[in-house]
Amino acid sequence: MMNAYFITEKDFKNFVSAMVQSLTVIGPVAKRKKFVFAKLESAEDLRLDYDVTLLPPKKEFFPPSQDMVRFEKDKYEGCISPQEKILLGVHFYDIKAIDMTDRLFREKNEDWNYLANREAATIIGSNIQTISERAFWGTVGKDVPPKGHDGFITKINGGYVYETRGDKGEALVKFGSFAKATDAQVKEARAVNENVMGKCPEKLNRSSKEIAEKVRKAFSKEAFWEALAEDCFSCGSCNIVCPTCYCFDVQDNWNLDQVSGARTRYWDACLTEDFAKVSLGGGATENFREERAERFRHRIMRKASYLNEKLGGPACVGCGRCSAACTSDIADPVNVINKIMEA
Amino acid sequence: MHCNCSYSDKNIFLPKETEILKVEQPTELEKHFTLKMKDGATMAFAPGQILEVSLFGYGEIPIGFASSPTRKDSFDIVVRSVGRVSKAINKLEKGQSVFVRGPLGSGFDLDKLRGHDVLIIAGGIGLCPTRSLIQYIMDRRSEFKKFTLFYGAKDPSQQLFLSDLANWRKSNDVDYYETVDKGDEKWTGNVGVITTLFKKTQISPDTRAVICGPPVMFKFVIAELDKVGIPRSNVYVDLERRMKCGVGKCGHCQINDKYVCVDGPVFSYADIEHLEEAL
Ligand code: SF4
Ligand code: SF4
Ligand code: FES
Repeated sequence: MMNAYFITEKDFKNFVSAMVQSLTVIGPVAKRKKFVFAKLESAEDLRLDYDVTLLPPKKEFFPPSQDMVRFEKDKYEGCISPQEKILLGVHFYDIKAIDMTDRLFREKNEDWNYLANREAATIIGSNIQTISERAFWGTVGKDVPPKGHDGFITKINGGYVYETRGDKGEALVKFGSFAKATDAQVKEARAVNENVMGKCPEKLNRSSKEIAEKVRKAFSKEAFWEALAEDCFSCGSCNIVCPTCYCFDVQDNWNLDQVSGARTRYWDACLTEDFAKVSLGGGATENFREERAERFRHRIMRKASYLNEKLGGPACVGCGRCSAACTSDIADPVNVINKIMEA
Repeated sequence: MHCNCSYSDKNIFLPKETEILKVEQPTELEKHFTLKMKDGATMAFAPGQILEVSLFGYGEIPIGFASSPTRKDSFDIVVRSVGRVSKAINKLEKGQSVFVRGPLGSGFDLDKLRGHDVLIIAGGIGLCPTRSLIQYIMDRRSEFKKFTLFYGAKDPSQQLFLSDLANWRKSNDVDYYETVDKGDEKWTGNVGVITTLFKKTQISPDTRAVICGPPVMFKFVIAELDKVGIPRSNVYVDLERRMKCGVGKCGHCQINDKYVCVDGPVFSYADIEHLEEAL
């Protein structure tokens, strides 16, 4: 079911208020000078004019720490307990990223610790009103359309067009005074979303396919990767802020009572030193990606090449979060990819 | 514990309980456990597959099966004390429980080995996962042609499965050759790296070769197999990597774009020789 509705600016506020009163609504809110996805306490909190959030919305399905098994003495059980929530105001690049993690957690062995949270969520996108300084979503993975969301809101003159995609999105219509959108309004919304695509400050100049091939071939240019990673602190920030990174560590912890506890997964980062290190016993270790250049390269390979076949395009959506998060400013995929493409 | 259990059968991280039937300690660092599923089920697996073995409050570690699926009543694992989890497991005794998830990954494609000469080259604890295949071949000996086994250990005190070794030395079902990097006063056998065993016997180019051992070993052994003329598509490698999830999600075990925990740990060498991070 795909329907297009229109709601006036004033009624939109009431719509958000009504949802906030009866549902858990997560949306972009201001945090000092930046933005984060957080639970809305009132309609005023919602900042659809945000540029990009510090952390991507994946934390709602794949939280930074998540118990997977809880134990107490000799008893244990799984603890998948999804909470229904609305994610409101997700930009299209993050919608693409969620669709990718959906597929990756579903492929081969379905991971319901993620999927149950995902199924309990309703995702409503919104158009980009402010462009972040490091964005390049206009030119990355252009063949991969955003999908998997339940509705999309676009700001046009005098109000918003709300396009629903299926039952979950349709179910929200009852919270506001919506009218059927006119053809002209739908057209205007489309133009708004198309126009923004050319406005990113950073750009990739080649197709995903060309990039995937040439980046993969650059694997053995050791000196190139070493030079790029020279100022890398192996901090893993570029992984942590990335909407398509989903590596994790698993650890057991005892509760204070020392008889119960949990097996928990935590976000992990392939840029960190010990990510691929094993102990062999007797103090011996083997680190399969010992050099920071090897780890730096691995991330770029994953973003630009390794997953392309599986996902139909690159596992990078051009949000620019890694570029902004890197203290040394070396993580920007555009910089790395363009260097490879120009060589 | 207040969990929503409607998803419990869908949780791929939920382990199953096993009971320890027997514990042996072959070396200073290793313990050899014989396990049985608490629910009475048979663990159905292929040699080369792995398990995530765990103890609550300590964690999980990936371990290969050390016995053959032809022996249905129980299965074996060998745990080397290297970290917090393995040290805790190695304190367990007969009758206690250990928890497992699996079988995971892809093991040996036995149909590709059947009807051919088989050579297994095992270095160090690489003998543990290959013991599953060795037992399998010994149990169904007529399905395979000439069977040769090379085993290399650091020194005699590091040798595993001592009663197996004694049997293999005498057995007509396997051409067994062993070596140690460094002998002791009692050692009268071969001293030298594992590749020195190639001089001891004749290997036919139509052999299916299996390699499992420390990372440094692979390249040297493959060079020898190339000399024999065994095509690389008939060479199988059993690889070790850091593993956390065992189900292709956590990213720790990746070799370029392959996941050792699902695509492996057993790979045909022809399938991975182009991967820069493989060997
Ligand atoms: S590239 Fe930058 S953000 Fe990533 S690990 Fe290195 S220093 Fe940290
Ligand atoms: S690699 Fe960087 S730009 Fe690409 S999706 Fe991840 S954080 Fe965003
Ligand atoms: S061990 Fe987690 S992906 Fe292989």
